Amino acid sequence: MDRRSAMKQLAILTGGAVMMPACNFSEESILQAYQNLKVTQSDHALLSQVTNTIFPGTTLKKAEELMIPDFVLLMSNDCLNADQQNGFVKGLKGWDDFSKKTFGKAFSKMDQNEAEEAIIKGMALEGENDSEAGHTRQFLNTTKRFALQGYLNSEYFMTEIKPYELVPARFYGSKLIENA
Amino acid sequence: MANLNIKSKKENSYDAIVIGSGISGGWAAKEFCEKGLNTLVLERGREVKHVKDYPTTNSMPWELEHRGGILQNVKEENPVVSRCYAYKEDTQHFFVKDTEHPYVQEKPFDWIRGYQTGGKSLLWARQVQRWSDFDFEGPARDGFAVDWPIRYKDLAPWYSHVEKFIGVSGNKDGKPNLPDGEFLPPFELTAGEKYFKEFLKNNYPEREIVVARCAHITGNQEFYAKQGRTLCQNRTLCQRGCPFGGYFSSNSSTLPWAAKTGNLTMHHHAVVHSIIYDDEKGKATGVRVIDAQTKEMKEFYAEVIFVNASALNTNLILLNSTSSRFPNGLGNDSGVLGKYVAFHNYRAGISAEYDGLKEYTTEGRRPTSGYFPRFRNLHKQETDFLRGYAAGFSSGRSTHSDYSGIGDELEKSMAKAPEYGPWRMGSHMMGETIPKEESQVSLDSELKDEWGIPQLKIAMDYDDNDEAMIKDYLEQMSEMFEAAGFTNIRTRDDKRAPGLDIHEMGGARMGKDPKTSVLNKWNQVHACPNVYVTDGACMTSTSTQNPSLTYMAITARAVDHAVKTRGKS
Repeated sequence: MDRRSAMKQLAILTGGAVMMPACNFSEESILQAYQNLKVTQSDHALLSQVTNTIFPGTTLKKAEELMIPDFVLLMSNDCLNADQQNGFVKGLKGWDDFSKKTFGKAFSKMDQNEAEEAIIKGMALEGENDSEAGHTRQFLNTTKRFALQGYLNSEYFMTEIKPYELVPARFYGSKLIENA
Repeated sequence: MANLNIKSKKENSYDAIVIGSGISGGWAAKEFCEKGLNTLVLERGREVKHVKDYPTTNSMPWELEHRGGILQNVKEENPVVSRCYAYKEDTQHFFVKDTEHPYVQEKPFDWIRGYQTGGKSLLWARQVQRWSDFDFEGPARDGFAVDWPIRYKDLAPWYSHVEKFIGVSGNKDGKPNLPDGEFLPPFELTAGEKYFKEFLKNNYPEREIVVARCAHITGNQEFYAKQGRTLCQNRTLCQRGCPFGGYFSSNSSTLPWAAKTGNLTMHHHAVVHSIIYDDEKGKATGVRVIDAQTKEMKEFYAEVIFVNASALNTNLILLNSTSSRFPNGLGNDSGVLGKYVAFHNYRAGISAEYDGLKEYTTEGRRPTSGYFPRFRNLHKQETDFLRGYAAGFSSGRSTHSDYSGIGDELEKSMAKAPEYGPWRMGSHMMGETIPKEESQVSLDSELKDEWGIPQLKIAMDYDDNDEAMIKDYLEQMSEMFEAAGFTNIRTRDDKRAPGLDIHEMGGARMGKDPKTSVLNKWNQVHACPNVYVTDGACMTSTSTQNPSLTYMAITARAVDHAVKTRGKS
């Protein structure tokens, strides 16, 4: 296998982005793991900033430690319909420009407080689904939904924070609550 | 050549053939093998061995790539199976995809199927309520379908026989419309359910909530150890297949039991094309089988044939078994084969809250729920619709976590223990539907499946009786809920198509008269008595109870009859 196809294989296997050395460097390659979305490493990085704003890691673990951006992309790629994917991807790709235009600062340059405020406002935007505001709203709400789902169902959360019992081996129908 | 044929005929001959390895086929196999008959079981799907072939059985939630979700493209290509409550990422390998086995919906019908060892017995909801004479006498009393040729007393010993072996958790409630059985210790009702039970006792003395009987092992461990099964561990992940054998399936119980006798031969990927009828001998001699993978046609022979292919597929096989004696399908002299199919009406439900019982919650998980046996039109006709409904009833303490924020506020909220909310109450109806001539399945004259077998056309629908019953269920439940002090009462009618109840029945109904039925009281085809039908196809009426237990009891009884009458014509 030559180096080029070996790297392509690697990209498919790892789901990561691989810059093709022979390609035009100005054009960023598509992440192979999310074929339906056509997102790049930069999109992934921006999404990661969004999920790190949602889960900054001040009380629990930070989103990126639990691979939350990858879960959001996986779910968006596999479990959304074409319309929903369209809104998500357009909203993601336009998010930095949109935030600059709307809040006076690009999201990627914001501190945690500014970023939280931008996301909260963005989630409540009004406007048609198929508009810039609509795409932004869909992107942020979808990201929040899948990020929360991925977090609540992560090994970390289900073992260290609220342990899940695979084998409860009991059922009590009337258990007295202490300090009720 | 002639010698070769004789040899192959001998090699392919058995005492009994059982078509299908699901909940009733597994029972036929066990009973025949135990009684010493050399038995062939034909399963159209792949092999699924107990535990070994349950790939997700011990998966943690985070190990499911999509956390249980079904892929969008799979949903779009398979809308029918995607509507089934149990079809999830961790169970999808046990369900038939719409695209793999097409059928014709003359009227909307969501046909849920499981083609593998054990069939849908891996996936069932494990509810095992006995029928009573209020059910068996229904058609005769209310003048629909035909009279059942059997009564409760005919089946009672066989219910016991089956219950002891499969393991049934339940409480002896002493209700004539829900006869008690051979029970292992019951699961508990919750505080909310007990409250409602008590309320009914004081306000509606004819109505009662019981804990639903379910096919789970909750005691008598030594006995079930012989089957390699042990106590239910309350995982409630049943549809993945249970590594403890805590619930009953053909895979965990009847099939390995049959195999231990040394009398069982099992063929997978064996799609039954038709039953062979020998005009000279005047009886069925075997079955034609297509290998699902090679498409090669083979014949197998036996003195007795049990058809347990699942209600509608059994109809398909019988309709496709044509001969000069039976040009319209095996045993179809009357013309009723494929007709008078019916199902259970699961369309309506209700939910509510209760603000009391603040000091209680529940702990652990329970693989069953509360059960509201039928009270409508039970002793006499009292409404403008025929028959009635049973209902599921369950209640649990709700908890609430606030996930609305983002940032540290969200993390802090997630790290906190959830707060207790009100008790939530929920119920869904299980209505009896009336088998009618126009409700039927038939063979499509043009469309064929991958193996050249005609596709099944399905036409059944709700009628005015069902609509009136839905209305009554919602009115009665709302009235009782209100009187019990429940709040935030919400009713629903999800307008689902028939089929999602997964309780389709009939088409080869039992009856006393060969002119109006296909099977006699022993489940023999009237005009071809060495063929027995003991799955859902045999049902004359549907009652309100989950039917699988009755299929198993009917099967064991029919095998006993087949063996006792062996060699007599």
